[in-house]
Amino acid sequence: MNAFLAVLWKDLLCEWRSRDRLVAMLVFSALVVVVFHFALPGGAGAQTRANAPGLLWVATVFAALLGLGRAFAIELENDALAGLALAPAERGWIFLGKWAANVVILAVVQAVTALVFAVVFEVDLLPVLWRFAGVAALGSAGLCAIGTLSAAVAVRTRFRELLLPLLVLPLLWPVLSGAVRGTAELLESGSLSFEPVQLLLVTDATYLILSFLTFEYVLDE
Amino acid sequence: MIRTSGAALLVIAALWAWAVVAAPVDSMQGSVQKILYVHVPCAIGAYLGFLTTALCGALYLRSSDARYDRAALAAAEVGVVFCSLNIASGPIWARGTWGHWWAWDPRLTATLLLWFIYLAYLLLRAFTDGSERTARFAAVYGLLGAVAIPLNYFAIQLFGGAAMHPENLRRGSLGEGMGLPFALGMFAAAAAFLHLWLLRIDLEVRRVELARSLASGGEQ
Repeated sequence: MNAFLAVLWKDLLCEWRSRDRLVAMLVFSALVVVVFHFALPGGAGAQTRANAPGLLWVATVFAALLGLGRAFAIELENDALAGLALAPAERGWIFLGKWAANVVILAVVQAVTALVFAVVFEVDLLPVLWRFAGVAALGSAGLCAIGTLSAAVAVRTRFRELLLPLLVLPLLWPVLSGAVRGTAELLESGSLSFEPVQLLLVTDATYLILSFLTFEYVLDE
Repeated sequence: MIRTSGAALLVIAALWAWAVVAAPVDSMQGSVQKILYVHVPCAIGAYLGFLTTALCGALYLRSSDARYDRAALAAAEVGVVFCSLNIASGPIWARGTWGHWWAWDPRLTATLLLWFIYLAYLLLRAFTDGSERTARFAAVYGLLGAVAIPLNYFAIQLFGGAAMHPENLRRGSLGEGMGLPFALGMFAAAAAFLHLWLLRIDLEVRRVELARSLASGGEQ
């Protein structure tokens, strides 16, 4: 438990001091929104609003992939990864610390991206803000669980930048499906059924438990 | 072992081919419906491959025994072959009955993603240096990937909405005379999986032995 808090604090402090990962993710997600504007013929029309939940999550996933790649790349400097592996703590807690730091950083990116989306595509998020925040939190919890474990694996392979999205994206579909369906329900009707939440809860729990248990073998040197 | 599985495969495949030829032609879809006896068994071969990969991966993580890793690699490769055949045979049937090559149906999408997961598994193995690290990373990813197998099997109930695929088969849901070739197809797929899996493990054992003998020859 102490390891969890220590790793979380260390990652957030590093990020706060440099802010390089957060800034890159924010600029990238804003750029993705601009690319959507050019890629979609209707601009901010009704068609774009109908596709907004999917587009919002695509922007989030791309930005997350960019940030997750750095989460373990920073540990390669001065061989900090070996230090983590040697820490006298259960490695599952180290994973959870890394995961929580990624969730916090992604939450900031999601909040800003949602704000940009709401403004430029005229999507009204205010009436469903808290429930949307809940769906976004569940979605990013699952995304970061797969992403953190895959980043720890990919960082010690050749072509790690290439491999990370290939590892993460196919595993992501139940999380993404639940998150997009939940967001779409909220934007269309203002209400949220239990089905997408259930899918998110079950897949988040499964991926988190599996990652917690197997991280030991990923970090093992 | 390999010869026995090969002989069993030959017998079952011959019986299956006879049953498929003798099976009645579907009154609605015509002869294209007979692709059922190839398409669904291929999915069974893929499930067997991916479940074996996850199971052998878990056993490897427990024991660090390289034999389990070779079994996991062989199962993943054979599973990907079966999954590719399943995905390739689907559009042929779909074109004949639905009128499209492809539809974003939950089962179809889930199978495609399952295929991508195990392609990523094989790429991960190819991009990792060191046999022990490769085995550990692959075992972890194979276990994560296995989560998609029940999601795939129950895709239609889980992801609801319009599905072109029927729900999972129950006893009596096939037409008269179609049960036997279907069941034989399942057995043939299981036998083909077993035979190819054993062959692939044997190949991997020989490859490791060759690498070892080359390395020891180089030292001398």
